[in-house]
Amino acid sequence: MVNRDSRGHLLPLLVTLIIFGVLLMTFDVRLQGGGVVGVLRTGTQTIIAPVQKAASYAVNPVADVVDSLSNLSNLREENIALRRQLADAEASLVGVQDQLARLEHFEQLYGMEAAGDEIGRTVANVIGRPDAFDAALIIDKGTSDGVVVGQPVVDTNGYVVGVVKSVTPGSATIVPITADRQALTVIVGDQIGSLLSQVATDEMRLEILDARAPVLVGDRVLTSAVSASFPAGLPVGVVTEDAAPSIDVLTATVDLFVHPDTLRLVVVLAWPPDPITASSDATIPSETTTTTTETATTTTSEGGG
Amino acid sequence: MTILLFAVVTQTTLFGRIRFIVPDLVMLVVILLALTRIRPEVILGTAFLSGLLVDLLGSSLLGLRAIVFTTVAYVALRTKERAENFRFAVALWAGIITFIGVALLVLIGTLFGQTSLLGANVASRVLVVPLANLILAGLFGPLFVRLVDGDTAALRFS
Repeated sequence: MVNRDSRGHLLPLLVTLIIFGVLLMTFDVRLQGGGVVGVLRTGTQTIIAPVQKAASYAVNPVADVVDSLSNLSNLREENIALRRQLADAEASLVGVQDQLARLEHFEQLYGMEAAGDEIGRTVANVIGRPDAFDAALIIDKGTSDGVVVGQPVVDTNGYVVGVVKSVTPGSATIVPITADRQALTVIVGDQIGSLLSQVATDEMRLEILDARAPVLVGDRVLTSAVSASFPAGLPVGVVTEDAAPSIDVLTATVDLFVHPDTLRLVVVLAWPPDPITASSDATIPSETTTTTTETATTTTSEGGG
Repeated sequence: MTILLFAVVTQTTLFGRIRFIVPDLVMLVVILLALTRIRPEVILGTAFLSGLLVDLLGSSLLGLRAIVFTTVAYVALRTKERAENFRFAVALWAGIITFIGVALLVLIGTLFGQTSLLGANVASRVLVVPLANLILAGLFGPLFVRLVDGDTAALRFS
């Protein structure tokens, strides 16, 4: 072992780097992940994402084998349960197909057309996670597939997972709602509340500030129409304990339907639907206003003349 | 840098998928670099940059892991003599320093409001990650040092 002892210089260097690190952290907090920090993050992810994608193709079979070996007994039970579910689903599918045929018949009869308000969906593979302490998920779809920062993400059953935090042309980072510092606006029955993450648990805390009625075990928690991040009515979880309001405030624990650690596939929702049209719509009133003003001006000048 | 990039990619892909084996490969590489002949200043700088890289790929605060990895590298450089006696010493030394790093990560993260670091099973992860690093350091630590130094005689225990 070569002994180039320059440890006398190490402490000042360590202190300098730590101060620089703290400055970066403060900068990131102040910019809330945007600005220069956002550009740096996107740039780095753009460079690394293709390597991660290639690596995930290579390591996925290995990970699958290791994962399967560790969950062999669980997989058997899951397999039996899934077969049962498949049989039920096939039975109900026949009924749904029948209803769809009848619906189509009635639509033709009354000359109805679909409203066209379906939300676009992008199915993406989870290709990785930053480390054991970061709950974020890295997916293999990005801006080239229509994924945009802030879009909601659900699992293949439609249960809420999280939101897109950053995006590159070929990948995106998803922050699950359990790791998000922002509360999620939800509805339980007819009461609107907030869902907040908790320390050291996957369960979330439900807070209803203007509570009028108790919530009960098994009550479904859905995203609210008030939410700015999610479309209304997406299932989030179930209440795990009965809770009654105490001076208008109600607090309860919610078990989520989705556990992000186990996700392999996610669905990114193009919500709000068609942001391009939405932004064009936003310009329409101003154009109309301009036209009206011009007309008004013309009218006035004509009147004045 | 190639080894660090390899560690970052493996960490975010392979170990991001396997739920029960959760080493912190990048932190382990930073720790093991202290046993090589690379200049200590370069090791500190590399530790800072690799922490920054992991921060940029994740969702937590920029600079958090940079601080932690730099501190871990410093502790490793100051204590590396304790790891040079036998293979188990390398493993134990890497495991203990990883534990310090992980504890520091949770502590600083909490101070800066990174509640996502304190998600489910945080207590077990604080123990499991150092344990995984301990095993990997025992198995591959000496080989890593030989590879980086290009010296087949490095860390040969009789």
